[in-house]
Amino acid sequence: MDGGKLTRRTLIAGAGGAALTAPVLGQKLAGHLIDLGLPGGPSLRPLTPAFPGKGEMIVQRIRPPLLEAPMSVFREGVITPNDRMFVRWNWDMPTSVKAADHRVAVGGAVKHAVSLTLDEIASAGEHVSVVAINQCAGNGRGLSDPRVTGTQWGNGAMGCAKWTGVRLKDVLAKAGVADGAARVRFAGLDVPLTDGAPQFIKSIPMDIAMRDDVLVAWGMNDEPLPLLHGFPLRIVVPGWFSTYWVKMLATIEVLTGEDDSYYVAKSYRVPAAPITPDEKDFETVAITAMPPRAFITSHADGDVVAKGKPLVLEGIAMGGEAALAKVDLVGERGLEIPCSLGPDEGPFAFRRWQVTIPEVTGNLAQIGVRAANVNGAVQPESLAWNPSGYARNVIERITLRAQ
Amino acid sequence: MKRLAFILPALLLASCDSAPQATFADASITLPDDPLDLPDLPGRDAVIGNCTACHSPSTMLQQPKVSREKWEKQVAKMIEIYKAPVDPAAIPQIVDYMVAVQAEQAAAEQGNVSRETSGQAGPKGGLEGV
Repeated sequence: MDGGKLTRRTLIAGAGGAALTAPVLGQKLAGHLIDLGLPGGPSLRPLTPAFPGKGEMIVQRIRPPLLEAPMSVFREGVITPNDRMFVRWNWDMPTSVKAADHRVAVGGAVKHAVSLTLDEIASAGEHVSVVAINQCAGNGRGLSDPRVTGTQWGNGAMGCAKWTGVRLKDVLAKAGVADGAARVRFAGLDVPLTDGAPQFIKSIPMDIAMRDDVLVAWGMNDEPLPLLHGFPLRIVVPGWFSTYWVKMLATIEVLTGEDDSYYVAKSYRVPAAPITPDEKDFETVAITAMPPRAFITSHADGDVVAKGKPLVLEGIAMGGEAALAKVDLVGERGLEIPCSLGPDEGPFAFRRWQVTIPEVTGNLAQIGVRAANVNGAVQPESLAWNPSGYARNVIERITLRAQ
Repeated sequence: MKRLAFILPALLLASCDSAPQATFADASITLPDDPLDLPDLPGRDAVIGNCTACHSPSTMLQQPKVSREKWEKQVAKMIEIYKAPVDPAAIPQIVDYMVAVQAEQAAAEQGNVSRETSGQAGPKGGLEGV
């Protein structure tokens, strides 16, 4: 065994040791279960505060942790508390990080490669904050129909926080970007367990890397980044899916050409044009910027509402890669009512919406909210199905029963 | 809503006037145990010996029901792309096990259908604690 890598022998030995204790997942973790409404199931998950620094979270995987926020988290405000932000790791990460020992190597197509301490990163430029939604590319995958394999998220693999750090371009300036730079690639401290497996490294184009709001961040809602969220540093790319927001940042590498690494060239990709579930050979493009989405948070599917009374519906919406423009309540028989929008916390933040139905006259079947952003992107009526379940943004619908 | 809220690009970044120096303390956490809670069906040992070092049972047991062919492809992907050191002789046992587990789960879900509120996708925020 070398540097924590696994051989078959250690795999078996490790598993055998754990098997001796073999407590039941439900007994060990679950305060109770939550139903994610995944078509065809399995749909029940433990809901538990058992993870360090986290409140009640839906457990999708224990190791490496995949934790989802229950939708009730999004009922108030636009900022997701740190203890309710979703957690997603591709590979095991260290559970202990010594700040004084941490370095960020900046290399590749640079004038002079450097290895920076955390203090050197923090003094690389002006300290800036941005409120931005962090959303997993696979958020809502478990709701795909037909279903697809992968982490079976409901819609809670998202959250909105105030991120604080320095601009990536200021950190790059410490090394000096060389001519011909095309992309900037990031690696963290999370590494594969097996020799030869692809490391989780991700890259963004140079023009995105040089944006004023793309950060090397250490602050999350005015607190140090929790370890589960990437302590000591993570990349923040507002408007882009969180797969690019590399955590436990340890390496910044400037590339002069395309990135052929696995998680850019082979994975985290979507069909270039719409496909049906039967199609096998199709062109793909990397998943990058987020589309608009909206959610009803005041009510859940199947809730009972008072007949003959007014009904106030509330929720959250996002514009994705551009600011939210509007949110409409939509339903059967041409129902379409514009919603009013709450305070604007910036183009990449959640924004609250509200709408009042003057009088409930009967069941409200298949109602949903439809967000549009200022670029003209609008949530679609039907799911843009893809085999990896990425970038779900179909209008989410519920039915309310009048009594 | 009386007017459409077409927002001009809002002020994006809040600069700190008196940049407070960021301070970094060491961080350490302890994660919960990952119990091997796998149903006792033929092939369980092959799964424990070849899969559970990287995969929580919590993930393996939460996948949607897919075909045997899909499971064969999944195992092949783990070996070819993720370099999982899987014993070739164990592959059919692993596939058999996952197919059997999912058949058992599907039967259990059928039994639960009566208490499902709906098959519709949508926010389920009100269903905590069921």
